[in-house]
Amino acid sequence: MPALLEARGLRKAYQDRVLLDGVDLRLEAGTITTISGPSGGGKTTLLRILGQLSEPDAGQMILDGANVGALVPHEARRRIALIAQSPAMFPGTVLDNVRTGPRLAGRDFPESTARELIVRAGLDAQFLGQDTRELSGGEKLRVALARAMALRPEVWLLDEPTAALDPERADTLLRLLLELAREGAPILVVTHDARALALLGGRHLELASGRLGDEVAARKPA
Amino acid sequence: MSYVSVSLPQLLLSLGLMALAIAISARNHLALEKDLAVGTVRAAVQLFAVGLVLTFVFQNEHPATVFGVIAVMVVVGGWTAARRIAHGPGTGVLFRYATLAVFVSGVVVLVPVFTFVIRPPRWYEARLLIPISGMILSNAMNGVALVFERVFASVHDDAAAVEQLLSLGATPKQAVDRHLRAAMNAALRPTINGLLTVGLVALPGMMTGQIVSGTAPDQAVRYQLVIMYQLVAVAAVAGALAARFARRLSFTDREQLRTFADRRVG
Repeated sequence: MPALLEARGLRKAYQDRVLLDGVDLRLEAGTITTISGPSGGGKTTLLRILGQLSEPDAGQMILDGANVGALVPHEARRRIALIAQSPAMFPGTVLDNVRTGPRLAGRDFPESTARELIVRAGLDAQFLGQDTRELSGGEKLRVALARAMALRPEVWLLDEPTAALDPERADTLLRLLLELAREGAPILVVTHDARALALLGGRHLELASGRLGDEVAARKPA
Repeated sequence: MSYVSVSLPQLLLSLGLMALAIAISARNHLALEKDLAVGTVRAAVQLFAVGLVLTFVFQNEHPATVFGVIAVMVVVGGWTAARRIAHGPGTGVLFRYATLAVFVSGVVVLVPVFTFVIRPPRWYEARLLIPISGMILSNAMNGVALVFERVFASVHDDAAAVEQLLSLGATPKQAVDRHLRAAMNAALRPTINGLLTVGLVALPGMMTGQIVSGTAPDQAVRYQLVIMYQLVAVAAVAGALAARFARRLSFTDREQLRTFADRRVG
C-alpha cells in the first residue's frame, strides 16, 4: 500500500540538542499510528515538521507520492490536519472558527455543514453560536477537530488529544479518530494515555533519543 | 516685517530658564538636576554643531553637499528605526529594510512636492530641501519604528494563532493580516491626530518659526499645510513598506513562522 505521508531521514537539532536523529516514518492510508516517549524527546517537533510548520535540518517528506518540498507550502498544509494539545481559537464564534479553513481558500462554508461537523466532533449543535473565549480546554479541542474536518484533510496529526478530556469524552474523540481512519485517512497520535493506546490499537512507536523504534504490528481498525 | 536677531549674551540669559527648572527639581527632590544640566549642554552642543554644518552647506551650496546631508538623515533614520525592536531579526538585518523604507517613502513624498508645489529657485536649494526633508524623513523613521515594533511583538505574542492559521492553509499574508493592519493604523494615528488638532492646541513649529522670522502668516499657513499633508503621506507609505518588510522577515521561504531569539531591549 502506498504511504500517504512518508518521512525519510528527518533530522532536527535545537541549539546543542538533537531532537530527531534520522527518523523514518510511513503513514499509510487508513492506518493508525501512536507515538509516545519521554517529554522533551522531540514528539511535538516531529508533528510540527510533518505538519509543515517547522523545517527539518535534513530529510525528505512525500505526500501522496509528491515531494513536499515541491508543493506550495500552504496548499500542502491544507491537506494535513495538525491538532495541537491546546489549539488556538480565533476571535469570534465557533461557527466562525469552523469556517476559517474553507474561507482562507476562498470558499464559503454552509452553516448546516458546520453544524454536522461540530456534532460529529462531539459537541452540541448549539455551540455553533458560542464565543470561543467561553470554551473549556476540551471544548476548544473538539472545535479544533471540527475546524480541521472542514478542510477534509488527507492526513491527521494529533498531539495528546485526550489530555484535556474526561474519559467519556476522550472515548468519543477516539471513536471519531477510528472513524476517520476507516474513511481512509492515516492518523498519527502522540499520546501517553493508556486508554487511548488500547482503544486506538494500530501501530505503536517510541520516540527516544531522536529515534523512532519498538514498532508493534500495524493493523487496520476493524 | 523684519527679523529680530538674538545676540550670544541674550542667549545666555535664557539659561535662567533652565536654572529655574533645575531649582524646582532640587527643591522637590525630583533628582532630575543632572539630566537637566546634561540636557542643557547637550542640546546647545548638538544645535550649534547642526548650525555650523548648515552654515557650511548654505555657504557651499552644491548638490553633493545638500544630498550628502539628506543621505545622512536617511541612514541615521534607518538605524534609529531598526534599533530596540524586540522579537525581531536584529538591528543588522532590520537596518537595511528600515533604511530602504525611509528612503523610498521620502522620495515618494518629497520629489513631487519639490517639483510641483514648493518649487525652489534652484533644484538643490539647501534652505528648503534640508529642513523640509528632515521633518518628513523623521516622520518616516517614526512610522517604520512603530510598525516594526508592533508587528514583531504582536506576531510573537500571537504565534500560536498565526501558526494555527498557517495549519489551516493560510498564506503568510492571510496569517498576519490582522497584525499588519493594526500596526499600520497605529503608525498613521499620531499624524492624523496632528492633522485634526493643528492650530487648536498649538501652532506647529515650522509655521511658528516662519512667522517669527517675518513670513506673512498666510504664506506660513500654506507651507504648514503642505508639510502636514506630506507627513501623513510619508507615514502611510513608510508604514506600508515596513509592514510588508516585517511580514517577509517573519516567514521562511517555506512559509513557516520564524522564531527570533528574544533580545534584551534597553
